[in-house]
Amino acid sequence: MIQFAAIVTGIFREAIAKKIFLGFMVISTLIILAFVFIVNLDSVDGMIAMFGASGDTAVKDMVIGFQILVLNFSYLLIITFCLISVSSFIPSMVEKGNIDVLLSKPISRGAIIIGKFTGGVLLIFVSLLYLIGFVWLILSVKTGYWHIPFLYSVFWLTFSFAAIYSLLIFIGLVTQSSVVSMITGFILAFVVTPVLAVRSELFSFISNDAVRFVIDFFYYILPKPGAIADISAKILEGKEVTSYEPLITTALFTIAMLTISISYFRRRDY
Amino acid sequence: MKVISTKELVKVYQSKLFSKDGITALDNFTFDVEQGEIFGLLGPNGAGKTTLIKILLGIVLKTSGDARVFESEVSNVAYKKKVGYLPENHRFPNYLTGEQVIRYFGKLSGIEGTKVDSKIDTLLEMVKMKEWRNVKIKKYSKGMMQRIGIAQALVNNPELIFLDEPTDGVDPIGRKEIRDLLLNLKSEGKTIFLNSHLLSEVELICDKVAILNKGKLLKTGSVDELTSTGNTFRFFTSELNDKVINYLLTGFKAVLHGNSEFTYNSSNDEDLNKVIDYLRQQNVLIRSFYQEKSSLESMFINLIGQEKEAVN
Repeated sequence: MIQFAAIVTGIFREAIAKKIFLGFMVISTLIILAFVFIVNLDSVDGMIAMFGASGDTAVKDMVIGFQILVLNFSYLLIITFCLISVSSFIPSMVEKGNIDVLLSKPISRGAIIIGKFTGGVLLIFVSLLYLIGFVWLILSVKTGYWHIPFLYSVFWLTFSFAAIYSLLIFIGLVTQSSVVSMITGFILAFVVTPVLAVRSELFSFISNDAVRFVIDFFYYILPKPGAIADISAKILEGKEVTSYEPLITTALFTIAMLTISISYFRRRDY
Repeated sequence: MKVISTKELVKVYQSKLFSKDGITALDNFTFDVEQGEIFGLLGPNGAGKTTLIKILLGIVLKTSGDARVFESEVSNVAYKKKVGYLPENHRFPNYLTGEQVIRYFGKLSGIEGTKVDSKIDTLLEMVKMKEWRNVKIKKYSKGMMQRIGIAQALVNNPELIFLDEPTDGVDPIGRKEIRDLLLNLKSEGKTIFLNSHLLSEVELICDKVAILNKGKLLKTGSVDELTSTGNTFRFFTSELNDKVINYLLTGFKAVLHGNSEFTYNSSNDEDLNKVIDYLRQQNVLIRSFYQEKSSLESMFINLIGQEKEAVN
């Protein structure tokens, strides 16, 4: 347990040392400060006065609107900053001279991978909790509308990140390259998933069953961070979520990636 | 008690993915290391020394055979609580200070934070790095990195310490300090497994030595056993006259090396004493005499040379 905790805290130390994490925190702080100054009590009072009885609803809509804005921004921010930050965790761990000492310690290879995964996920969770938690607090205090579902976004976004991170762990172990890991993460997050997300629309242009099957195959096996962000936004707006399938397939993808990574790591000579 | 034991250990590295061909790094390697020894592992580059250490630490996986440390299979990580390791060309996270390196690896060894903290002072003092404790290791010289590396290898108070080229990059005074430290650890009953290219160093501190070449164990034994050239004694005397020289050459089959130096091959102590008695009877002053030995280096070079010739 001590060794596992050392791996997890080591991730935090590495992230802080690499400055990119600090960059994320600085941007988050700027966003929080922006909310402190933009949303003031006068504008809320004015809105209530302007809309009369429906003023409360207008305030709620404004709060939810801000929250969706922050949610979407956080998604982009977390993917961009954190992919740059975490993509080097595994390649730097398996560097010659570093991995030797690590593997000579009384901790199993499986626990090392789970520790690195847990550390990365906790790092992102804390970062998101800082950004979303403070934005929620400021909006709530200033408007008097305490919209709890916005806080759930921390979990949804962390979950999306965990799926992509599990892939980065595997790519990092196989290629031992931060650049390849980062590029893979970006392609998955910004190219593959958005394309697969509109597969129903794509099918109207594709008549070949084999191609449809291939698209479907990748849709179901790959994680769906975009779809999870959509689910999060629906929950935020109080709309009905029609399918939780993206959550299930993304969770399965994460588990599969970690299992494959551990299995690969256990068989490797360093 | 055997601390390390291998039996018919084989390691073949695959040269290409999915290829059946491979490079044999260890070939039916069998040996033991007893508790409390300083054991030196010698061999030319590519002999399989580092592979052996890495198998014993579970960093490289064996192909076949048996490898045990503290009678535990190397696949079981629990034995590593009693092991310390300094790899060759180690790279610790360069954003850490010397103190943080020791703390981090101490925790990875399973020691609680407060217990690690209580050891840091002693360890830094031991490797003479106390004044550098708060400096980031990216500013350290090679020698300083070795010292911090040794400190992290000792943080869990290990019973067995693997050191791969521990004095690499260390100045002569530093080497002497490391040698003294190793001898001190030995006196505490710890077992040290040393891999070094510096044969003179190995000769100075190792109790037992194994020589590897191309993955095979060529020779193992104590340094004295390996460097002994038989029962040849070298005498330094006052100037010898012709009569004495003739008798030494004919009667004792000695080999002359000038007028006051000769070597004599004695099969037993009685014959050796006969030479001494004869010299004293002839009023020859014996200044000194000793049993001849070759250096570990010359023995090593000869052995590897013979091996090459045998292959050719």
